[in-house]
Amino acid sequence: MTTLGPENGTLTVRTGKGGAAAKAGHNLVIEVGRWQGSLTPDAVELNADARSMRVVSGSGGISPLGEEERNGIARTIDEEVLKGGNIFYRSRAVTAREGGYDVEGELDLLGVTRPLSFALSVDGDHLTGSAQVKQTDWRMKPYSALFGTLKVADVVEVSIDATLPKGS
Amino acid sequence: MVELDHSFSTGKPADYNWDAVLDLDRIIPCVEGGKVLELENPDLAKAEIKVKMGAMSMTFKGTVEVASKDEAERRAVLRVKSKDTGGSGYANADVAFSLNDGGGTIHTEAKITGKAASMGEGVVATVLDALIKDFTTKLAAI
Repeated sequence: MTTLGPENGTLTVRTGKGGAAAKAGHNLVIEVGRWQGSLTPDAVELNADARSMRVVSGSGGISPLGEEERNGIARTIDEEVLKGGNIFYRSRAVTAREGGYDVEGELDLLGVTRPLSFALSVDGDHLTGSAQVKQTDWRMKPYSALFGTLKVADVVEVSIDATLPKGS
Repeated sequence: MVELDHSFSTGKPADYNWDAVLDLDRIIPCVEGGKVLELENPDLAKAEIKVKMGAMSMTFKGTVEVASKDEAERRAVLRVKSKDTGGSGYANADVAFSLNDGGGTIHTEAKITGKAASMGEGVVATVLDALIKDFTTKLAAI
């Protein structure tokens, strides 16, 4: 079994923006600070700590994101969006194909479990993959501000980029 | 310049609405993020409004003044003059109230410059419209 985590990979969430005042908002790159994944030829699991989100960068907006704002977003995610809830993925089926795997399974996000499929690519010891998570499918209300005129886009992209340990 | 018209219902008599709208201590906090810093006299207050845009926020500081009032006609104009504390922009507005039994109407003429205005006038108008609608729902409960 191959074990993955922050020591050998990054788990990143990318968010977009919408609404009439979308121009005022930022596209965010958020790194998950604490997570653990396991990978075997027929099973994939991943557990992420909802309280470990760190805003790495933001693009767009009417002014640049400073450290204070990035910390503020992390606080908002913690207090108003994820609230320390469960984030757990478990595969139902893993199909090997040339250059990687197709993974089908279920994501438990804040207590709601829904199917989620994605592809993993393996190139030597380099593993990459990404999944699109539509927040409303998990009964989450995308965060909004400015009286609802600025919203986080419903679909966020979660991606993994890891170096497989030697011998795995 | 952005011009907007709104109506609101309070379910209260015109006299009550008149007193409420001209009470700066009560009406300024009805604007989301609005705060009276100092009431200089019944017709003039130093105030600020903090507009949260997700992680970012903009704070405008300035004055709210009763620029004109006609008690017989139940019409009053509140004049807002404010500067962006984090930049060189400003947000000024004349907010004209026409009151009657049960509620009233608001005509707003606003001029906004600086960072907020860089979103474009259409966006500013949309956000201002949403802010005033939120204000009218709070006004209903004043």
